[in-house]
Amino acid sequence: MSIEFSQPALVRIRNWRWLGPWLQLSPAAIIYAIFFVAPVAILVTYSFYTFREYNFDSDLTFANYKYALTNEVFRTLFLRTIKIATIVSALVVLLAYPFAWILTFVLPKHRQILYFLVVLSLFGGYLVRIYAWRTMLGREGLINTTLVSIGLIDEPVRFLLNSQYAIVVVMVNFLLPLGVLPIYNAMQNVSPKLIDAARDLGSGPGHILRRIVIPLTMRGVVTAVAFSFIATAAEWVTPLLVGGTGDQMVGNEISYQFGTAINWPLGAALAITLIVAVIAFVGFIFGLLRLVIK
Amino acid sequence: MKRKSPISFKNLAGILYVGFFLAFLFVPLIVMILFSFNSSPRLSFPIHSLSLSWYRALIDDELFLDAFRRTLFLGLGTAIASGIIGLLAALGLVRLKLRVRTIAMGLAAVPLAFPALLYAIALAFFFNKIGVGFSLWTTLLGHVILTMPFVFLIVGSALERFQFSMLEAARDLGAGPFHAFRTITLPHILPAVVGAMLLAMAISADEFVVAFFTAGQAKTLPMLLYGRLNLGITPALNAVGVVLLVVTTLLAALAARSTRFQVER
Repeated sequence: MSIEFSQPALVRIRNWRWLGPWLQLSPAAIIYAIFFVAPVAILVTYSFYTFREYNFDSDLTFANYKYALTNEVFRTLFLRTIKIATIVSALVVLLAYPFAWILTFVLPKHRQILYFLVVLSLFGGYLVRIYAWRTMLGREGLINTTLVSIGLIDEPVRFLLNSQYAIVVVMVNFLLPLGVLPIYNAMQNVSPKLIDAARDLGSGPGHILRRIVIPLTMRGVVTAVAFSFIATAAEWVTPLLVGGTGDQMVGNEISYQFGTAINWPLGAALAITLIVAVIAFVGFIFGLLRLVIK
Repeated sequence: MKRKSPISFKNLAGILYVGFFLAFLFVPLIVMILFSFNSSPRLSFPIHSLSLSWYRALIDDELFLDAFRRTLFLGLGTAIASGIIGLLAALGLVRLKLRVRTIAMGLAAVPLAFPALLYAIALAFFFNKIGVGFSLWTTLLGHVILTMPFVFLIVGSALERFQFSMLEAARDLGAGPFHAFRTITLPHILPAVVGAMLLAMAISADEFVVAFFTAGQAKTLPMLLYGRLNLGITPALNAVGVVLLVVTTLLAALAARSTRFQVER
């Protein structure tokens, strides 16, 4: 202590500075290497294993990928998954964008509390929300009984629950707050002065939206689309609990191969295919949006 | 650009849209809360009389109480582990070069964007491969991975606003590194750390997918809800859902309050 005290401050700082930060980062880095990187690496290696008589050995093969890519059933699942994920992400952006716009430019006085409510709804629970929708959409559920009692329909309609509509409604409901956050944050960069200036120079609302607001908020929109797409593409609880038997998605097949069928190599190959497909699709959307903006 | 009447057509349309939007977000939860107090088991309006019987039944439900205790333990453990390791990492990161910081922030976002189902299965593969049986502890590790990026990013952004000259002044005046940390750095970033830990606890309490694949027989509250949901919808489940909802929302609201306090300083 006395030696350190007599040294000039700069020398003392230089002595530990180069190592200190890395030491502080190391517990997090080690935990991520062991419990995130290693599991994902094992998932990748399993996808090349051979499945024989309810067991798998380390004979490396592409057979799982070949099966995952050529099987009719899987292709249908992949196409359905991409369709639902596209619809959900589009709806999230189309609904969240006007909301963020209104908060920023129409009701700026109340935006703090409204934004807080949206963030809070994010913690309204994942399973709780799915469960609540099930009570509302079912044949004996709230929406049907209400519609019947006010005489709008004669008997309960079935398509509300156990359908792709239900999957889309629940996923949009769940992801909408996550869509608002990046779009709202991006919109804070749009200065009202800029809009006033454009208006004074004779721009109409459509022109202002297309030339100023949308380009400046594109990053937020892309983040919202990517988040919604990734989350929906790998979803399995929602299709399981509110989708019909014919509405299952890739996530259901993966969890089935992992659980009931115990064909882990095939499940892993499906999982890796899904990740690659999602990355490719999100990359495609990024590229497309960049083209459209320029 | 002055408007004379406070409620123009534009404002009215805006208020209506915001109203419908928030209703869509909150109606499922409000409906569930209302029916959890309904004395009749029918899940349809009108509600004739209110009662606490569904909640009273929970107090005698051993499976529910076990699940509740596990969720609490898991949430606390996740918050403490994520909080300490994430705080350390954020403290280290803020002293590195901007380019290293940008790369680390990007890496920290990867687990957040990674699909939960695929991570859960990968983690289950991993524990199976190294021969560790599923328990609450394996789930705890998974939850630490899922929540630490939040601690790291929240505390990291609080540290960006921190005046490091104060710390150097304290060190020049003879304060040891731990003393300086305890009296200067920590009080400044404490609200952010507490907020991030509460957020970690809220995420852990609500997390289902990783728990489902790695907790084995140690059923948490979301797992209990899932199991009973498969058996059919009963009004008793509303009460379980409301308990879970109150726990996570309360934690999230406290987290928001704590981190907002930090921003205002």
